[in-house]
Amino acid sequence: MRDQLKASARSGLIFGVVIIFLMLFGLTKTLSDILGELFNLQSITRTGNSGGLMLLFALLAWWAGSRAAKEDKENWKAVLRNGAVSGLVIGSITALFTFLVGSLDGADIEMRTYLAQLDRPSVQFLLYGRSIIAGALMTFFIFLIFNLVGALASYILETRHAGGYLQKKYLQIKDRISGTSIVVRYKEHPQSKWIGYGILLAGTLLMPQFLGKYWNYAMGTVGIYVIMGLGLNIVVGLAGLLDLGYVAFFAIGAYTVGLLTAPAPIPIQWSFWPVLVISILLAAFAGILLGIPVLRMRGDYLAIVTLGFGEIIRVLIRSDMMSPYLGGPQGVRDIGGPSLFGISLSNERAYLYLIILGILLAILLTNFLQKSRVGRAWMAMREDETVAQAMGINTLYYKLMAFATGAAFAGFGGVLFAARNQYTGPADHTLMVSINVLSLLIVGGMGSIPGVMIGAFVLKGLPEVLRELDIYRLLVFGALLVIMMIIRPEGIWPAPRRRMELHESGLEEIPPDESLIGEEG
Amino acid sequence: MSKTLSQNTAGPINTFLIVQVIISILFIAFLTWRLYTVIDSGAYGPDTWLRFAISGLIIGSVYSVIAIGYTLVYGILFMINFAHGEVMMLGAFAGYFVFEALKSIPVEATGLSFLDSYQIVSVILAFLAGMFISAVVGYFLERIAYRPLRGAPRLIPLISAIGASIFLQNAAQVTFGPKRRTYINPASLQRSVGWRIPVAGEEVILTYTGVLTFVLSILLMVTLYILVMRTRYGRSMRAVAEDKQTAALMGINVDRVISNTFVISGVMGGAAGVMWGIHNGIIYHYVGFIPGLKAFTAAVLGGIGNIPGAMIGGMILGVVESLGPAALGIDFQLKDVIAFSILVLVLIFRPSGIIGEVLSEEKV
Amino acid sequence: MSILETRDLTKRFGGLSAVNRVNVAIPEGAIYSIIGPNGAGKTTLFNCITGFYPPEEGEVLFMGKNLTGLSPDRITQRGISRTYQNIRLFPAMTALENILVGAHPRLRSNFADAILRTPRQRAEEKTALEKAMKLLEFVGLKGKGDLLARNLPYGEQRRLEMARALANEPKIILLDEPTAGMNPNESRTMMRFIENLREELGITILLIEHDMKVVMGISEFIYVLDFGQLIAQGSPEEIQRNPQVIESYLGRGAA
Repeated sequence: MRDQLKASARSGLIFGVVIIFLMLFGLTKTLSDILGELFNLQSITRTGNSGGLMLLFALLAWWAGSRAAKEDKENWKAVLRNGAVSGLVIGSITALFTFLVGSLDGADIEMRTYLAQLDRPSVQFLLYGRSIIAGALMTFFIFLIFNLVGALASYILETRHAGGYLQKKYLQIKDRISGTSIVVRYKEHPQSKWIGYGILLAGTLLMPQFLGKYWNYAMGTVGIYVIMGLGLNIVVGLAGLLDLGYVAFFAIGAYTVGLLTAPAPIPIQWSFWPVLVISILLAAFAGILLGIPVLRMRGDYLAIVTLGFGEIIRVLIRSDMMSPYLGGPQGVRDIGGPSLFGISLSNERAYLYLIILGILLAILLTNFLQKSRVGRAWMAMREDETVAQAMGINTLYYKLMAFATGAAFAGFGGVLFAARNQYTGPADHTLMVSINVLSLLIVGGMGSIPGVMIGAFVLKGLPEVLRELDIYRLLVFGALLVIMMIIRPEGIWPAPRRRMELHESGLEEIPPDESLIGEEG
Repeated sequence: MSKTLSQNTAGPINTFLIVQVIISILFIAFLTWRLYTVIDSGAYGPDTWLRFAISGLIIGSVYSVIAIGYTLVYGILFMINFAHGEVMMLGAFAGYFVFEALKSIPVEATGLSFLDSYQIVSVILAFLAGMFISAVVGYFLERIAYRPLRGAPRLIPLISAIGASIFLQNAAQVTFGPKRRTYINPASLQRSVGWRIPVAGEEVILTYTGVLTFVLSILLMVTLYILVMRTRYGRSMRAVAEDKQTAALMGINVDRVISNTFVISGVMGGAAGVMWGIHNGIIYHYVGFIPGLKAFTAAVLGGIGNIPGAMIGGMILGVVESLGPAALGIDFQLKDVIAFSILVLVLIFRPSGIIGEVLSEEKV
Repeated sequence: MSILETRDLTKRFGGLSAVNRVNVAIPEGAIYSIIGPNGAGKTTLFNCITGFYPPEEGEVLFMGKNLTGLSPDRITQRGISRTYQNIRLFPAMTALENILVGAHPRLRSNFADAILRTPRQRAEEKTALEKAMKLLEFVGLKGKGDLLARNLPYGEQRRLEMARALANEPKIILLDEPTAGMNPNESRTMMRFIENLREELGITILLIEHDMKVVMGISEFIYVLDFGQLIAQGSPEEIQRNPQVIESYLGRGAA
């Protein structure tokens, strides 16, 4: 029993700390507003939906309670006891926190200067617009009561003796959500795959016609990231080289198109199409140039050096030294766009079509490469570099190839990005570009083409939808990366091979690599 | 593994080596020529050079302390703790809040604030807070983001570390706000106040904050070195670094040793953060990122996994970065470029660093 | 003339000579073995021949040409294949893909062919696939081509590794303890398989082996290494009678 109580208290502690962090981040307010709007709740304070806040706390408490109930599902007394302990812990932690914040605020200390999210209205909101004591007590009781409710509910719904029809339905639904995912079921019917692809393609091609200017632009951004993701997929997913300086090639593409089509800072104004080719080739060439020294290094060094290289490029394009040639912090304006048969294609819809075309091309290329001698050599290198070399593969050459191909894709992305905005500047080429591309790969599923697309939508599309969550985007995203690595390292839509790999034998890797030296005898 | 590779691509006539040597000679010749023209032109007097060197040493000592955090973790887990810069940043914030809080407490006896009345105590408190917070962050970082991934393919913990770094950075931005904050130092530690050294008719200021930073970082590093090399605890740490399975068989609690390594590296990071705040004066949520990268560079420069290497690497990086732009006659904005170029050059020409890695080859 | 020959091959690690002035010569179409106690330098010798360690002194001759200093991929391209003592397949690739990687040096299609899907590339892929299928059948893994290498049972992994080495169409194949971890029955099958390699494909075989039954059963000639030095050589009968070998090797190992 003591162990159970301890575990419940610990689970309560974790919940409590997380809730405090939610308050510190100001996420409670955002979430409460969403909940309040969703359920059309009354608000007492003007700054945030306090009804939503109560609901949010109640839901969190419910969750915590049902977790605590898991300690001993069979005995209803134990369930209640564990729920109560967890509720007491969470309740007292959060109530104490609100009390503290409230009193500090009451003592005329400008909290805002230190904790940006806790300005006076927010503190009032956390206290439901009541006095400090009343607000803190309310929080305390909400957590206590709903912990008990959650614990009891999970006892009734999940334990065999209790419940009945309701329980059966609940377990069914639960199975459906957590059990076999749609992806897996869909993979079981390969013939439906082609129909699915057909519909998807038709939908994609028709989509720009129905979308407005804003959405065409937003989808274009997603598309550019899909292209870059496919490129990085070759470098990281196939060849196993962790490149964190991907933005450098993106920048090379963007600046090449900028400098060669814009009137300033270099007075050359060529037309878009030849410049597109030049930019891609230049990016690929830069990939080889960087690759020659860098690709001899082992994996994690490679990551850092490429990261450093990305930073060098960024500092260089910002610097005063290069500003006569690159435009400095102001960047390059009036970048020319593509035209076909005298018709300018410089509108969001035309760009989206161009981008879709680019994606299709990229998918085709990736597919061809994957199933060729080159692709096999890349995979072999990823699996075991030493043995790959023993198989007659010139590893340096193939690494360079992978690097150059990835760079070409990034350059293409850069060209599209810069031409579409008719502008490029240092702010477009931060480390975040590299990290975003890498993350969409990981979120979607390394080595999987549909995964890349899903990843791009999740990472670049969702934030467009959830504008109000904008300041939390990166926060959530960082946490998501960690969580993904822990619970689903193969991504949302993994390549079939990778899923096999990670799920048949858990996360265990190949036995630690006792290098080739082998043990004698 | 790459070591075996570079060995075997080498034939009896090692073309790569020759190219390396030629490039190095050309590079050094270029550097000397630039240096000569800069000195010859007399753009900077000796006082300026001294000023650069001093500031380089001070910043370098901070890099060293951060670098030790990377080196410790790398030595034991062979992973780059990408979020270490953020650990340092949070330590800097902890110190900042301590100073702010102490500033607002009046002391009746002196008529000044606590901060200015008991300056030494205040500084000690700030350091303790910074070290404590960073240690806690380091501990939880390992527990949450790295421990579940032990034994996974190498890329996975690295990505998790990148995620943790992004999370911590943005958590700080959201919680504390995006604005830059000025560290309020105790009265006698005002920046730009210090000993004045006359050099060639000019005065070079050796700031108190700089001296504090330098002395403290040396002290910390020596303590750590003794801890690792001389104590029983350090021995178990080295055993775990050498071979986890055998260490576990010998009765060492590997998980605890790894946890403690993160705590120690957090302590170092936190101290570095407070030093950064006291000496440089400005902190914000992004303040850990670039120093973190540079400290990693320093760790690689000295040979990662090697404590004296991190110290020397940090100092060298600081000095080169500070003298470099002037010596080469290029823009001061480009000092980051110099730092990263050094990283690239070191990794190309001497991947095991100046002193060498403390790793047996099969681990790599 | 011997197909593979080493002359005074020496490899040192620190002060220690792992391989010390070793001279071996393997005639074409033969089955030769290298034996020796743990740490005698057998695998190091293989690593020197295949280019993973540049030797400090001496040279390796393959079909009369000097291989010393070539990179491992070049050496493999010349027609030397090997297997590993602790099986090293590409675990997350299928059995078929493993074999196709093995065939890498015998294929010509390059990057441009791949992205343009040239007729040449498609024809080559087709024949490569057919050959790989045949090899799968040859090693008794028919129908298992689409399984991931890591999911095959131990014995099949060994045979897949062999098939991968054979895909290179080698003139000589170096086998590092092919029967390690096998029961007597499996060992016998493996022995027959190795003999088959020579009979059917005409490949020269050099193997490192611990199992004396296997060694004595199939080799025509045996080299004995101890502390990096060649202490004896001769036919199986001669080796079994050699007092020095019995003392340094059989004596220690068998007792």
